[in-house]
Amino acid sequence: MSTSAPNTAVSYPSPNVVAQPTIRATAVSKSYGNTHALNGVDLEVLSGEILGLVGHNGAGKSTLMRLLAGRERPDAGTVRFRDLPVDHSWTGPAAEAAGVRMVYQELALCSDLTVTENAWLSDRRKSSGVGWRRRAERRIIDVLDTVFPGHGIAVIERAGDLPMAQRQMVEIARALCTENLRLLILDEPTESLGVDAADQLYAHLGTLTERGVSVLLISHRMHEVIAHSHRIAVMKDGRVVSVTQAEVTEDELLVAMGGEVRPDAATLDRVVSAESAGPSADTADRSGTRVAAVANSGATQFEAYSGEIIGLAGLAGQGQEELLQKLWAPGTFSRATQVPRHRAYVPGDRQTSGILPLWSVAENLTIAASRAISRFGFVNTRLKRELADHWVSTLKVRGGAKAPITALSGGNQQKVLIARAFAANAELVLLDDPFRGVDVATKNELYALMKAEAALGRSIVWYSTENKEMAHCDRVYVFRAGRIVSELRGSTITEERIIADSFDDRTGEVR
Amino acid sequence: MTSSTITPTLPDARTRLKVTAVHGSPALLSLIAMVVIFAVAVANQPGILSVPGLTLMLMSAVPLVLATQAQMLIMSVGDIDLGIGYLVGFVTVIAATVLQSSPLLGILILGVIVIAYAALGAIIQKRNVPSIIVTLGMSFVWLGLGLQFLPTPGGEAPAWLAAIGRWRPDWVPAPLVFILVATLLGWLIARRSRLGTRMRALGSSPATLEKLGWSLTRTRVLTYVIAAALIIAAGLMLASQTRSGDINSASNFTLMTIAAVILGGGNFSGGRALPLGATLGAVTLGLITVLLSLINLSSSLQSAAQGLIVLAVLAGRVITERAIRS
Repeated sequence: MSTSAPNTAVSYPSPNVVAQPTIRATAVSKSYGNTHALNGVDLEVLSGEILGLVGHNGAGKSTLMRLLAGRERPDAGTVRFRDLPVDHSWTGPAAEAAGVRMVYQELALCSDLTVTENAWLSDRRKSSGVGWRRRAERRIIDVLDTVFPGHGIAVIERAGDLPMAQRQMVEIARALCTENLRLLILDEPTESLGVDAADQLYAHLGTLTERGVSVLLISHRMHEVIAHSHRIAVMKDGRVVSVTQAEVTEDELLVAMGGEVRPDAATLDRVVSAESAGPSADTADRSGTRVAAVANSGATQFEAYSGEIIGLAGLAGQGQEELLQKLWAPGTFSRATQVPRHRAYVPGDRQTSGILPLWSVAENLTIAASRAISRFGFVNTRLKRELADHWVSTLKVRGGAKAPITALSGGNQQKVLIARAFAANAELVLLDDPFRGVDVATKNELYALMKAEAALGRSIVWYSTENKEMAHCDRVYVFRAGRIVSELRGSTITEERIIADSFDDRTGEVR
Repeated sequence: MTSSTITPTLPDARTRLKVTAVHGSPALLSLIAMVVIFAVAVANQPGILSVPGLTLMLMSAVPLVLATQAQMLIMSVGDIDLGIGYLVGFVTVIAATVLQSSPLLGILILGVIVIAYAALGAIIQKRNVPSIIVTLGMSFVWLGLGLQFLPTPGGEAPAWLAAIGRWRPDWVPAPLVFILVATLLGWLIARRSRLGTRMRALGSSPATLEKLGWSLTRTRVLTYVIAAALIIAAGLMLASQTRSGDINSASNFTLMTIAAVILGGGNFSGGRALPLGATLGAVTLGLITVLLSLINLSSSLQSAAQGLIVLAVLAGRVITERAIRS
């Protein structure tokens, strides 16, 4: 999260050892229907290296990862692991046996099972008879202690009862619960982790590579990839467009991926003209009415005015989500919370609580807007179609309004969810870390959309774990240990300041 | 749900106790309800507080507890068995007829029931048919078969089975022993065994279980096999008490077992299994019937009263769970 590069220097595999490729993909292609997810990709991960893999959503990273892990077979081309013969069928079990482990972006723990039981499910070591539970407990604790000292996880708790950051730690730790680890594939491992835990993870990856383990690191966090990878592969449109040594800048990588971190002016124009309203010149102007307020145990009270984008920053899991929850569902008898009647909420966990997987894009998009598109309690299909088409074209949702939502890539699904929130005509829009694993271009479009919608008088409350994003906010509340410790506005909103306040031990003060 | 910064990593006894209590808390209200009902019953009829009194009071709960453990296993994988009631009845019919006349054939038929359940599990998994439909269909099969074997209640349970029903030690109520054994069995299967972990994983997130390389079909089939064995045990216990066979003797078990699992902290969506809670729920439901007849409530109102008590406990469960979570 920090711009200053961490002190852990990247150690290259010693030159006298000829680095063998642990896994090598040669000219692999993969299509889903009409979509060419991969188009002749060549990639090898050397033994003892961390290979960073970056690219937009839909560039084919996830597909490539699934092929390398043996979850799917390529349509053409070969995947070869170490010395296994070329014709060896590279299936999931074969990959497991060969020592390939994968950490999923969408958290894949059974929420009803305890941490120990979850770890046991993925641990293929023989543990026969009585006492298997104790052994599994010991193993997962050992790994957690090694990788994340001071993690604070009680392994007998249900995984679903843990906060997101701890669940992510468990997800990583259980992939490491194995004896013959050769290749570790990490898909956005630090999206939910705090800075400390991320640093701990990268430090551990360093010791793993010294033992000859290969790591494939997929992340949208450029600075982390640059700081910790030996080599970086950039993917674009189903191909690997470049493989560089790690001495590149973030901007160079962004250019290679075909992106630029700037609010997307084109989208801004489209949105504003489509809404047929003049952009208010000064969104930071506090002339708007107060639409929401939450009494806080700290010194600073949370307030939201119309026309504002308010950021909730700080380390992951410090009470930002709880505040959103309070704003979303204040409860019948709560006097400490003032909220408007019409609210919209975009959950961070789109797979479990966001999309309605059986429905089309249009249905997903308009479900919250039923008031606007219905007459006498019946949905007017023409209005519904118009509303859906409007948002689909505004946000350039790939696939169109009629496509099933599950056919869309993660970034496009997220667009639909955010469009749903704005289509609902809510005065207060709550965003719970909505850009987890969303590519740069989509992010820029969505930033622009948020600015335009705020200019129309809405109030947007936005929680993000990416401090850089906070620059798009009018005001930022920094959280620490469940309380607001500081309020930043205007030019004081900088990444350095947010990080400083996140770790500040003093009680909060209004600035 | 904030994590403390420094925690001993191996959970100590206190953490263990606390987490266990939180996990088991949904069953708490069933426990309270059971204690209250028992206290009211004792106040009305102090004679209950003796070994014979407890034996009489708890006797009817034994088959119900066994069947509830079976229902709990099936619900832990996210399914519901609507055939339990008639299957228990069918087992009493077999016990009172074939098992008496030609024991080998009887054991064979019981074996076929287990195989049938294995097939059910496979069909539900492979063909993606809702368990409710399959088991509801099967319940009519059991009913029809039962009527074929024994059109009117009757027959006679084998001597060894009747002997189990007659076992009445002086120092402890026999039903209590059976109930404890059944609960222990359920706990070992659902909470301590590796298969039980997989069952709950299947109910919690089948996609995850599959991604980790486990066979969903095998897990579901084994769950159904074990459930079938428990249901057969429930039928045999019922036959040992009534010493006869009756296809309709347990027809209310289907909904009673589901209510007992829910009462004891289970849920419909799967992933959870609380064997102790399920037993508490079953015993509570059994005791309600006994209590209502003790206080001379007209028998026509008993079902309604029973339903209202169950609703009250469930409402209380929702409220306490919310309180614990916040």
